[in-house]
Amino acid sequence: MISLIMIVLTSLLFMGIVIRTKSIATGRKGPGLFQPMKDILRLWKKGAVYSQTTSFIFQIAPSIYFASIIMAILVIPFGHYKGIISFNGDFVFFAYVLALGKFFSIIGALDTGSSFEGMGASREALYSMLAEPAFFILMGSFALYTGHTSFHEIFISLHFGSYISYGLGVLATFVLVMIAMIENSRMPVDDPKTHLELTMVHEVMILDNSGFDLGLILYGTNLKFAMYGALIANFFTGSFSVLISIIIFLAVQFIFAITVGILESFSARFRMGNNAQFIFTLTSISILIFFGVLLIMGKFV
Amino acid sequence: MAIPYLIGAIAIGISLFFNRNKKINYILVAIFLLLQWAFTVYEYNHQNIMEFDYFLPDALGILLLFTISIIAVPAFYHSYVFFSKNEDNPRNRAMYYASMVVLIFALSLAYLSNHIAVTWIFVEMTTLSASALIYHRRNLRTLEGTWKYLFVCSISITFVFIGILFLSIAVQEVGDTNLTFVSLLKNASGLDVFWLRLAFIFIFTGYTAKIGLVPMYTAGIDAKDKAPSPVGALLSSVILNVGFVGIFRFYEILAQTTLFSWANNIIMISAVLSIFIATVYMIKVKNIKRMLAYSSIEHMGVVMLGIAAGGIGYYAAILHLIFHSFVKSGLFFQMGQIYRVYNSKSIYDVGNYFKYNLTGAMVILLGFISAAAMPPSGMFVSEFLIFRSLFEANYIFVLIFVLLLLTIIIWAFGKNIFKLLFTPAVDFKDENIEHIKPYESISQFILLGLVVYLGINPPHQMVELINEAVKNLPL
Amino acid sequence: MTNVLLIVFAMSLIYLSIANRLMSYVKILAFQGILLFGVSFIELGEMSPLNLVFILLETIVFKTIAVPLFLKYVIQRNEITREAEPFVPNFISLIMVTSIIVITFLLSNTIENTQLNKVYFVAALSSLFTGLYIIGTRKKILTHVMGFLVIENGVFILSLAVGNEMPMILNTGILLDLFITVLLLGIFVNKIGNVLHGGDVNQLRNLKD
Repeated sequence: MISLIMIVLTSLLFMGIVIRTKSIATGRKGPGLFQPMKDILRLWKKGAVYSQTTSFIFQIAPSIYFASIIMAILVIPFGHYKGIISFNGDFVFFAYVLALGKFFSIIGALDTGSSFEGMGASREALYSMLAEPAFFILMGSFALYTGHTSFHEIFISLHFGSYISYGLGVLATFVLVMIAMIENSRMPVDDPKTHLELTMVHEVMILDNSGFDLGLILYGTNLKFAMYGALIANFFTGSFSVLISIIIFLAVQFIFAITVGILESFSARFRMGNNAQFIFTLTSISILIFFGVLLIMGKFV
Repeated sequence: MAIPYLIGAIAIGISLFFNRNKKINYILVAIFLLLQWAFTVYEYNHQNIMEFDYFLPDALGILLLFTISIIAVPAFYHSYVFFSKNEDNPRNRAMYYASMVVLIFALSLAYLSNHIAVTWIFVEMTTLSASALIYHRRNLRTLEGTWKYLFVCSISITFVFIGILFLSIAVQEVGDTNLTFVSLLKNASGLDVFWLRLAFIFIFTGYTAKIGLVPMYTAGIDAKDKAPSPVGALLSSVILNVGFVGIFRFYEILAQTTLFSWANNIIMISAVLSIFIATVYMIKVKNIKRMLAYSSIEHMGVVMLGIAAGGIGYYAAILHLIFHSFVKSGLFFQMGQIYRVYNSKSIYDVGNYFKYNLTGAMVILLGFISAAAMPPSGMFVSEFLIFRSLFEANYIFVLIFVLLLLTIIIWAFGKNIFKLLFTPAVDFKDENIEHIKPYESISQFILLGLVVYLGINPPHQMVELINEAVKNLPL
Repeated sequence: MTNVLLIVFAMSLIYLSIANRLMSYVKILAFQGILLFGVSFIELGEMSPLNLVFILLETIVFKTIAVPLFLKYVIQRNEITREAEPFVPNFISLIMVTSIIVITFLLSNTIENTQLNKVYFVAALSSLFTGLYIIGTRKKILTHVMGFLVIENGVFILSLAVGNEMPMILNTGILLDLFITVLLLGIFVNKIGNVLHGGDVNQLRNLKD
């Protein structure tokens, strides 16, 4: 329960911090911290316009997308407390419920009949496909290292003693940050501010959504960021008490938001062709980590 | 006498390098030849006596040492002829002679060395000196050949080193970490099979660059093409022998273990592929020197087939190796004369050689008969014995396939040789060609005659030596 | 700690497969030199001091400083263009290098020897095969030499794994490294640079049948 509350609370502020960081990095003062939430609230008050060429899929896709994110959040633990849902193998459930949401947003984009949205949808599908092994191999390494297969139990039994666990922790943080950037279609994979249609990936998929649906999708992005931040924070809040865990959690989310902002400000987007290679590099690195863990644990003989 | 020989040869090499005077060069070369022969005879008389724990003149080493000493004499003679026709600058000539001296002494010591790492060091030295020799005429094409040779041989030497590392892991099980062949042979059955397998793969792959088998044969082809003819003769005779020595000594160790049949399979695959590759390229090659180089690959494939087959094949393989050294070096020496007459190495520009150089043409004809393993050449005897050993070891399909390929090779080789000898050349102006003196071909007649004599009537010391060289292999 | 360093070494191999510029290759080679220095420092504590100092000097001075500086000098002097021109797209190189590492790992699982640390074996063999792959898929001659240097690093790791019992082997390996790289780099790339400009392997394609 507490993880759900913390994540929802953080999501209210997350995009605000990111946009503020980007503004300060470019020398401006930037909008207020709650401005993105105010935009979303404004969108929620509006009605939606549905095109004649779409079917019911287009109308239900954003809701399913949002629901899938909420369900994924339910699995994430917080310090000692497990998430609302917790069972063996729940990280697989986590990945695939997010994939379900993404599937619906893809077919929602295809449903509009616009070729631009189809192009964005296909790219989105490719990048998710390439990033998925990275996530699984990473979580698999941790499952192997700690001997458990549920988020809650992995994080509880993870303690940093040997060099390899530090190495694993650092690499896992890096890989998770990159996966977060990829899944949310941020730099350097996709520029959220570009309006050149041939270079958009995620933005082009939501061109036709409006009103309440658009608000759901935008808030979904916030929630996803907060969710990944919570995952990363769990590495650090191993066995502390609740209060200190909350403080560490908030600090990690804050630093994560600032990092996202800095990464967005200081890097340019890759050439489209190089994106696939970049994402696959993440998979290669996670394979290396996995083998490293296997070799060191001596578990594969 | 290994250490005095080493010191003497190095001294001669260094003084050749720094001394640019022609006469002194020739005197030093003559001294080196005398030293080489003295060393050979000494080692023959002191067979199987270990020196300094690193050098053991066993039977195979002595046979190959005799081979190189016999070939070294015409090599230097033809180098002298080569330099008297091309006025090179003294620096290049000094470098050439110094590198040739280093090459020959490194090869001699590599044949005799007993420790696997010492063999490796000397083989490395042969790579470097051979590269210096290939780069003698400093132009773009020789640069290319030298670069390829140096690069591929360096990678192969690194492979051999990795094999030695794996071998040292295998040896750690036994406890005796001495890497001399004598102690390895003794402990052979106790070595760890897994590491030995890996070591064999790497060492075999590495040495195929020297012996000219699949997979690393490519370096040698370009090298033999671009090097001056005497160097090409050395590259395609005695360097192939050092590759054989490297593989053979390790093969002897493997013969005492359970990996014997697996190693035979690997060698047979490589040999058959080499003969196949040689066939394919012989059909389409237009450069005479490259054709001779591919013929070397085919002969080395036949040698390794004999090793893989076993039985009488071991004896025949070593016999074939020695004969091939003489025949191929003779052909390459003759190639120098062909180049002087026609100024070209391409098969399109040559022809009617009988008219321009009668003795040379006789050498080519006899050399072709020898290299194609037709009687009375000694190579007929050795190839026949190898085929018999293949038949006796029940490798019928391999035998049929190889015989087919060899037929195609004889056809391709013969087609080119007969064009060279009998068909008139196209667009060839024969007014100002150089008249080659007949006595320059004497050395090649001697080499070819030696092959015939040793084939028909081998002296019993040679037979004894070859039998002793293969005594460690199972029957 | 050596395990972590060797895993980072394998990661540098992955980066090598997607790098576009020649200077990236040089920097990765220097980085690998530093990693090898760390590994040999930790691993070889018990050897005689003279040998140890020799090996450490070789890794730091030679692999990290001298060879990259020399490569940089060669690139500038011969005005070789910045790109490493591969024959296959970088994505495929990445997949190939990843599968090389996977296959090496699976191969290393057939070892039953408990004395040998398998991470060394995986790192050494994967850098050997990656070096061969780089030699085979790049157009420029200088990238061939760099691939050879990667192979040399692999041989060094392998001799570290084995050489605790036999320091002579380590020394021989290092001498091999020194000698061959000085020879290859020093003499021939300069000579080739004098004759060809741009260092394109395609100009060395005349020796064919």
